[in-house]
Amino acid sequence: MIPFARDESRVIRASLTSPESALIGSLAGQIAGMLGELIEVPRFDDPDAAALFASVGIGGSSALHDDPAIARLLPNAYADDEAARDFRRLTERSLATRKVENARIVIQSLESADTAGGELALDDAEAQAWLRSLADIRLTIAARLGIEADGDEGRDDDASLALRDVYDWLAWVTDSLIDAIEGEPVEAIEESSP
Amino acid sequence: MTKTLERPELREDSATASRLDTPWVTLVWNDPVNLMSYVSYVFRSYFGFSKEEADRRMLQVHNDGRAVVATGSREQMEVHVEAMHDFGLWATLQQVDA
Repeated sequence: MIPFARDESRVIRASLTSPESALIGSLAGQIAGMLGELIEVPRFDDPDAAALFASVGIGGSSALHDDPAIARLLPNAYADDEAARDFRRLTERSLATRKVENARIVIQSLESADTAGGELALDDAEAQAWLRSLADIRLTIAARLGIEADGDEGRDDDASLALRDVYDWLAWVTDSLIDAIEGEPVEAIEESSP
Repeated sequence: MTKTLERPELREDSATASRLDTPWVTLVWNDPVNLMSYVSYVFRSYFGFSKEEADRRMLQVHNDGRAVVATGSREQMEVHVEAMHDFGLWATLQQVDA
């Protein structure tokens, strides 16, 4: 991968190999699938009621999820159980929906990159979706690896070690994206130097 | 250092919680996953902190297990907590101890 950088027209670009693109796309798809199940709209006989229900985003579950990955992506907002439950009912669906949407933006931009020789091009909104989705992916991998405290290495079977490499690589991708988002366009820096 | 999935133990005094004039705070909790650079970026880009202030609060999260990142009404803090959850940061709100 050639790391992220802003070009002169402020587009954030990176270059991905085909396996790298497939890997991130697959992980984003798993996030979308995992959270997508939570936000399927219940069946209503009245289509107006269904539309209204979907539009307000209310109807989340009432408790922290048993799956540690989902529990970390959709955490309690209050230490107090009752307040946490009330807040979750009102906000969980919309939070999960935004995370699914971020994952879909990642997948769509990777599909565009795949038809452009691996050249990924993101506007600012897409870059923000990428940043959030990379965090969601790394949180999910950490939950699967059993990384719960600073210094945890996670499980050490072969599959987990391979996943740990992906986890570390995605940290590097995240850092690269932050640098590009906050950095000056690359060409402009070169032009301004004597 | 705080573990990710440990439940934060916060004192919740019901008499205090019912007082409307007591401000609320948004807390961000330490986790072993999010990068220090990312947490600092979120504090800069979302709360508008300077680089120094964002780094100071990020290190407070890292070293003390948590940091207060905003103070205000309950409704404002709920908006901030949701925004932090969007970023994948672990945040809660609570009323300031009287």
